[in-house]
Amino acid sequence: MTDTDTPMLVTDMDGSAEDRSFGQRRRFLLLAGSATMAMGLAACGGSNDSTPTPTPSSTVTPTPSPTATSTVALDTDYLNFALQLQYLATQYFIRATTGSGVEAIPASTSLPGGGAALLTGTGTQGAVTGGAQVTFSDALLGQYAREIAAGELALLAFLRSAIGSAAVSAQPVIDISNSITGGFTRLARAGGLIGPADQFDPYANELNFLLGAFMLQDVMVSALIGATPSLSNLLYVNAAADATATKSFHAALVRSQLYARGTAARTATDQLSNARDSFDGSSDDDQGVTGNATTANITPTNIDGIVFGRTPGQVLNILYTTASAVTGGGFYPNGLISRFFKTSAAS
Amino acid sequence: MTEDQQLIEGGDAALQPETTLQNAGLRNERREFFKAALGAAAATAAGAGALSIATSASAATIADNDMGNFLLQIEYLAAQYYSFAVTGTGLPAAQLTGTGTAGAATGARQVTFTDPLVAQFASEIQQDLVAHVAFLRATLGTDGVTAQPAIDLGTGATSAFSKIAVAAGIAAAGAFDPYASDDNFLLGAYIFEDVIVTAFAGAAASISDKAFLGKVLGMLSAHSYHTSVIRSLLYAKGIATPALRTNADKISDVRDTLDGSTELDQGISPTTVGGNLVANVVPAGADGLIAGRSTGQVLNVLYLNSAAVSLGGFYTAGLNGAVKSSSAN
Repeated sequence: MTDTDTPMLVTDMDGSAEDRSFGQRRRFLLLAGSATMAMGLAACGGSNDSTPTPTPSSTVTPTPSPTATSTVALDTDYLNFALQLQYLATQYFIRATTGSGVEAIPASTSLPGGGAALLTGTGTQGAVTGGAQVTFSDALLGQYAREIAAGELALLAFLRSAIGSAAVSAQPVIDISNSITGGFTRLARAGGLIGPADQFDPYANELNFLLGAFMLQDVMVSALIGATPSLSNLLYVNAAADATATKSFHAALVRSQLYARGTAARTATDQLSNARDSFDGSSDDDQGVTGNATTANITPTNIDGIVFGRTPGQVLNILYTTASAVTGGGFYPNGLISRFFKTSAAS
Repeated sequence: MTEDQQLIEGGDAALQPETTLQNAGLRNERREFFKAALGAAAATAAGAGALSIATSASAATIADNDMGNFLLQIEYLAAQYYSFAVTGTGLPAAQLTGTGTAGAATGARQVTFTDPLVAQFASEIQQDLVAHVAFLRATLGTDGVTAQPAIDLGTGATSAFSKIAVAAGIAAAGAFDPYASDDNFLLGAYIFEDVIVTAFAGAAASISDKAFLGKVLGMLSAHSYHTSVIRSLLYAKGIATPALRTNADKISDVRDTLDGSTELDQGISPTTVGGNLVANVVPAGADGLIAGRSTGQVLNVLYLNSAAVSLGGFYTAGLNGAVKSSSAN
């Protein structure tokens, strides 16, 4: 596919004035206490790292507020789509590095509601099944994993503040366990990593943790690349580009760690890549990390050196682990909470 | 004073005591930031600013063709560095033509890699960057494509690599050779890779053609994968060679002194949070985002000059194309 497949470009220009309040660029940071594994967030607003004040630009187009009558996806719908994916990534990394979920992050001055306040919103809030602390005997991998976890949590908080409390969608039901209907086991089976009756536990060891991360990260990169051109507000385009960079860094960390672990790990990524390709349509755009004798394949680029994007429907094919048009499954047993992006593509 | 002398001044500025203090201040603020996060200090939830385009107001006024050429001009630098380092030769002549003053990429040479992983990663990145040059040239078309400008990839005392190494305090003039070893090659790549990520991130909001935006995002992503690999290699090798981490931090500080008062740049050294080390491979802010640079800020770093100039550093004759001035910081 190409980015031109991105559906429903928003051109509605006659909406209400932009709600500036949802643009709060809050600065969050993860912490994880060693003794208690207590976690928290802090906001920081030092003048040193504040964003320079841009000269007002008339080219920044206000985004219409979503209304119940909208028949095309608005910016907030795309941002909420990204948020729905972000819940999954954040819960996976937070649980793998701390043993507890986002909801367990204690309240603090900067986050009065604790982590639980990062999961609320429109729709029926769901719970997370699965997740456990991974034992990192490789100290370096632990340091990388904690960095990614902190980055994912920060992105979660950022997306929620960018969307604004009125429109933000709640965490949906998420299955990151080794269950036979969950995304991890279904992708591992589809890729032939495990037998058709086996289950895949991404928390069992470091390799499995990396493979579990691999299953998620590249998909999220492709989701952002695919969706960002559909945003109309340039502030959101800018933020989504910045988030694309962050997600790509995370994905590369996971992929390069798998590459460094040798042939078996590399082959496993190729198998998982084929599984993703089997779900998201006829194009073979997904890639594992195996290269050739002289060249790695950390970056999943095409002949132009460009990382591919996916439509929301294709993203859901992989996360629901199906090539059919359905409204839930895999990592999201009840589907996303979304007005427009709940159904996977018929691929 | 010639622009070349100003350039040297820009580099020297990083060595002045007050600037060094400023750098230390930046690091201290970062420590305070983590301390606040731990709850050990009163968290000052100071005014969260409005969501903003962290790039110059002019970004939105740059035409797609001009921005595409700007990106091509910096891709030439990256592609030539990797091509020489990996293969011993530069881009083919047919990939260098176009409008403006054509120049040569000089001073680079093949690296004898000792770590096969570094060699395999470098080879992959090289192929992607060569592809970016070809893609951008094809997209911009025969009428609008800009020629490769003069690019200084050398190692002499007056070279760009030497100047930034001296400004960072990691080597004497002429002593930093990015082609001498795996470690030096990684540091050389790190000097400009991070900047290119921020250039693409900063460009996105000014691209009006949605199809082209998709391609720019795909290239931004590719550069982010590349830079993540480079930074994580430096970080990992920093266990055995701690200077790799501290040198990367010092280079980051130099970039920050060049591109304005906002701290956009980050080194790689870990932070201890709650007794656990946390890596800093990803140069994201506390909002999880990797902020872009304006074209002027990108050129501040690549010209090695905090003033508004039109040449210097890696680009001894400046960029070709409509976008060629650094910002006045």
